[in-house]
Amino acid sequence: MYTAITVLSALLLFVLLTFHRFWATNEQAGKNLVITSLLGTYARWVKTGANRICGGKKPWKSPEGCLAVIRKMPVWGFPVFEKWLFLLFYLSFLYLAASGLFFALFIPRGMSGYPLLLHVAAGAAFAICLTVIVITRAKDYIEMPKPLVLDISLLDPRRLGITTIRGQYAAFWVLVVAGFFLLLSALLPMMPFLRYDGQKLFFGVHRYSALVSILAAVTFADFEFYIKKKIGARSGS
Amino acid sequence: MKTQDLLTRGLAAGALLAFLGAGLAPAQENTEKKAQLPHVWDGGKSTPVHLIELRDENDKPIIPTETNPFPYSARYTCGPCHEYAKVAAGRHFNAPISRKDGRPGQPWFLVDAATGTVIPVSYRDWPGSFSPESLGLTAWNMTMLFGRNMPGGGTAEPPAEMEAPDPSARWTVSGKAEVNCLACHNASPKQDHSEWAKEVLRENLRWAATAAAGLGEVGGMASRLPSTWDIYDGPNPDDHEWAVVPYVKYDPKDFDSKHRYRFDISYPPTSNRCLACHSVTPVGQALSDSDPDVHLAAGLKCADCHRNDLGHDMTRGYEGEAADKGRAMLESFTCRGCHLGEDAEGENRVTPGRLGAPYPKHAGIPLVHFKRLTCTVCHSGSVLKDGFTRVRTSRANRLAIYGVASWATDFPFIYEPIYAENSRGKIAPNRIVWPSYWGRISGKAIIPVKPEEVAVAAGDILKAEEHAARVLAALTTAAAEGETPVLVSGDRMFRLNVDAGLDASAYGTQKKNGWSLGMLKDGAVLPMVPDFDPDSPDRDPGLETRVQELLTALSADPAAVSTALALDGTLAAPDDPAAPAVKPDGRTPVFIMKKTLYRLSAGYLETVPAPEGKAILKGFAWARGDELGPLFSDLDIRTISQKAGREQTLTEEQVTLVLGAMGKSAVYISGGRLFRLNGKGRLTAERSEAAKPVMWPLAHDVRPAQQSLGRNGCSDCHSVNSGFFFSKLDGRGALLTKKTEKRSSTSFMGMSGLFQRLFGLTFLVRPILKIVLIFCGLVIAAMFLYAGFRALGRISGLSDRK
Repeated sequence: MYTAITVLSALLLFVLLTFHRFWATNEQAGKNLVITSLLGTYARWVKTGANRICGGKKPWKSPEGCLAVIRKMPVWGFPVFEKWLFLLFYLSFLYLAASGLFFALFIPRGMSGYPLLLHVAAGAAFAICLTVIVITRAKDYIEMPKPLVLDISLLDPRRLGITTIRGQYAAFWVLVVAGFFLLLSALLPMMPFLRYDGQKLFFGVHRYSALVSILAAVTFADFEFYIKKKIGARSGS
Repeated sequence: MKTQDLLTRGLAAGALLAFLGAGLAPAQENTEKKAQLPHVWDGGKSTPVHLIELRDENDKPIIPTETNPFPYSARYTCGPCHEYAKVAAGRHFNAPISRKDGRPGQPWFLVDAATGTVIPVSYRDWPGSFSPESLGLTAWNMTMLFGRNMPGGGTAEPPAEMEAPDPSARWTVSGKAEVNCLACHNASPKQDHSEWAKEVLRENLRWAATAAAGLGEVGGMASRLPSTWDIYDGPNPDDHEWAVVPYVKYDPKDFDSKHRYRFDISYPPTSNRCLACHSVTPVGQALSDSDPDVHLAAGLKCADCHRNDLGHDMTRGYEGEAADKGRAMLESFTCRGCHLGEDAEGENRVTPGRLGAPYPKHAGIPLVHFKRLTCTVCHSGSVLKDGFTRVRTSRANRLAIYGVASWATDFPFIYEPIYAENSRGKIAPNRIVWPSYWGRISGKAIIPVKPEEVAVAAGDILKAEEHAARVLAALTTAAAEGETPVLVSGDRMFRLNVDAGLDASAYGTQKKNGWSLGMLKDGAVLPMVPDFDPDSPDRDPGLETRVQELLTALSADPAAVSTALALDGTLAAPDDPAAPAVKPDGRTPVFIMKKTLYRLSAGYLETVPAPEGKAILKGFAWARGDELGPLFSDLDIRTISQKAGREQTLTEEQVTLVLGAMGKSAVYISGGRLFRLNGKGRLTAERSEAAKPVMWPLAHDVRPAQQSLGRNGCSDCHSVNSGFFFSKLDGRGALLTKKTEKRSSTSFMGMSGLFQRLFGLTFLVRPILKIVLIFCGLVIAAMFLYAGFRALGRISGLSDRK
C-alpha cells in the first residue's frame, strides 16, 4: 500500500512539476485549447527535455562533475553558521529520505542495525536544523494575504494569485508541517503514552509525513531552480 | 471305518472352522459396522456419560470375573464411536509417518550418562536431530527408550513394515501399546502416568493403558519372560516370584451388572494430563516458588488453545501454522491472533479475544519490536537477567515419574531462553542442548556410535564410580550399626547412595594425596582397621576379627574388581594383550599391615609376610598369587575425585583412553567441540558442524504482563550490559573440560555485540534527545500557529483594525 502510494505520488509530482515548467516556459502551451492537443504538446516537450538531459552533459557521472555541481550550490556563499546549518540540514534530510524510503520500499522487516542508529541521529540533526531554519527563514516564505472579500471572483482560480513563488512558500510550510509530524511521530512512540494501536497509527504517520516532506522538498527545490533560472534569464536580458 | 473316521474328522474340522468363523466373523462385522458410525457432533455441549463395556484386543467383551482376563483395548472399546485409525494419525502418534512436521519442537534425547551420550533423536525432520534410523534405533528401541512419555500408538504400535528389521524386538511378548486415549482423556484420579512408565519399562505394553488408567491391577513383567512366550500361553505355574507372566485383575465392583465400566472422561483433557509430559521447570526451583503459566492461572486449560478434532492434529499455536496446515482458523490460536487480532502477516484479519483474551496495552513499545520479535520473547520462559536458566523438561529429564527410586535425570543440560531468528525472520526464544556423543568419522560426516558399543570398547575405563560403589556396597555388609563405609580422596568423601552410585561431600580442608577407606560414624571417619603391630604379642585379637569380616565382605563381590586394572596400579587398555593377565579371576582381597599380609584361606584368616616390591601397599589390596594391586586404580581415583560434585560424567583422561581404544577414526562430541587424538595421542578440541547445538522454540510458561521483558523500560534490554544481549553461554556437555563453545546472546541472534553496546549507549542520551525533540516540536508548532493566526487575522481583517 505504502509502496503504491509512494510510487503514484512521485509520478503525480513529476507530472505536475514538469507540466508547470511546460506551461510556464512554453509559449505554445497556452494556445492549445484542445486538451488532447495540449497533452500531446506536453508529451513531446517532456520527451525532448529527457533527450536533452540524456544526450547532454552528465556531471554526476564523474566525481569531479559531482563536486562541481556541489560547489555551484548557493549554500557555499552563506555566512559560516548558516552554511553549516544548511549543509547539515541537507545531508541529514538526504540520509533520512534515502534510508527511510529504501527500507520502507525494499526491506520488508524494516530498518534495523547501524542504518537505524544513523537514522535516529540524522533525525535529531534534522529536527534541530529545521527549527532554526523555521525561526530564521520563515519570514522569507510568507506573504500575508489580503482581507477576504466575498466575491464571485473567488471561484476563478486565475484570480487566486497562484504563482510559482507562492507555490514555493506553500512547499516550505508543507515541509515544516510534515517535519513537525515526523518529529512528533518519532517522539511519541518513545514515550509511555501510545498503546499498540497508537504505535501502529504513528508508525503510519511517520511514513506518510516523510513521504509528504520529500515531495514538498522536491517541489521547493524545483521551484527554487525555476525562480533562479527565471531571475537569471531576466537579468541576462 | 476309514470312511467314518474321515467323516468324523471332516465334521470336527468343519465344526472347528465354523467355531473360529463364528468367533471372527462377528468381530469383523462389528468393526466394519462400528467404523461406519459417523462422528458428528450434534451440538450438545455436555460430555456424554461413558458407561460402556470394556473390550479386549480380540474385540471380546471383558468380563471382570473371568479367569485371566485380557487388558482393555482402546481400539475396540473407544473405536466403535471414535474412529481409531483417524485418531491414530494424530500429532501425538504420527511422528514416524508424518510429512508435516511444522515448527521444530523438542526432540527425544538418547541419554546414557555412563558413556556421556546425549543425542537428540526425532522422526521429524528438524534441524539438529538425528533420525532413529541413522542411529540404528528401531520402533522397539524407541518404544523402550521413550515410550514412558508416549501415549501409545506410533512406534509403540508399529505397522508391519517398521517391525521387520529388528529381530531383537519382543512385540509378541509385550504386545503393542495401542493409542492410549485415557492418557489424556481420563479424568479419574486413578490415572497414573508413573504406572504407565513402569509398565512400559517392564515391557507390559498391552497392559500399560489398563494399569495406568486404574481399570485393573496389573502384575508380572513381560521383560522377564522368554521371547517365545505369547499371551495365549497363559500364566507360568512354575514361577510365582521372578518370571511372572503379566496379568490383570479387574475389580467387579467397578462394573455394573452388564459388565459395563463407567469412565470418567474429560473433554478437553485436563491440564494435569498434558503436564505429565509437557512440564518445564528451572533446575533448583522450589515447588513453592513455582508459578503456573499465566493462562492456567487464569483458569484456562492447555487444550482450550491446543485444540484438535477427531484427527487429533493438535493446534500448536505458532505463527505460520495456519499457512503450514492450510487452515486459516488457526490464526486465532496464536498469541498475536488471540490477543491482537492479527494474523501472521500482521494484518487485522482475525477475531481476537477468544475465551476472554485481554487486549494488551504495550504502552510505549515502538512498533519495531512487534515486527522483529515474537510475543514469547518478552512473555515466555525464564527471564534472561543473570544469565541463561537451566531447565528440566518432562520428556528429556524424565520428570513426573514417581516411585521408590528417583527417575529424574540431570542429563540433558537444557538452557533457556536462547534468542535466535526463526524461519519467519523474527527473534524467538529457544531451548538449547549441546549434544554429547561418540562417533566415527566417515568422509565429512560423523556417524554416532551407540552407547552399548562404546561401553564394550571402553571396558573398565568408564566404570570408576561403579568400582568404588561396588567396594563400598560390599563393605556395607560388614559395617556395624550406625557405620557407613566411605572412600576418602583429596578433600572429598564418597559414600554409596540409594541408586548404587556415589554421593560426594566435602571432607576436611586440605587435599590429601591418594585415597583411604573408612567408616563414617557420628560424623567422624574412623579407619576401617586401626593401626596395630601384627608382630606384637599384645595386639588386640578383635582387630584381626575385623580384618577377617571385611575381607569376607570384599570377597563376596568379585565384580568389584576393576578388570582393566593392572596389578601395579596402572591402567591396561581393554585391547591390550596384557589385559587377560589382569582379569579378576583368581584375585582375592588382602589386607596389609606393616610387613604382614592378611588373606582368607578357606574362610579363615591367615597371615603371610607381605611381598616386598616397588609398590608399597598398605591397607586393603587385591592379590593374585604373589602379585599385589591397589583396591582402586589411579585412574578410578583421579576420575572419581575430578567428577566429585560435578554433573559431567567423563573426564578428559577417560575420553583420551576411550578414543585410543576405539581407534583412529573415533571422535567425541561435547560442549560444542569435537574431540579427537592427535598424532601424539593427545586430546585436541576443534569446532565442528557435528557439535552444533540443537534448539527448539519455547512457548510456555507464559509470564504475567507485569513480569514481561520491558516492563521496567527500554533498559531491560537496551543497556550496555543487558542480560538480554550480553549473557554468555558455555557449551555444556557430558565431558568435564574447559574446552567448550562459548557464545553470547547476540551471536545466537545473528547480531553484532558491538552494535548492541553502541545502541545501548544511545539510551543514555535518549532523555536528552526527547527533550530536544519536544523543544523543536514546540517551536515549530508555535511558529506555524503564529504564522497561521497572523494570516487568519489578515484574511479576516482583524489584524488591520486599530
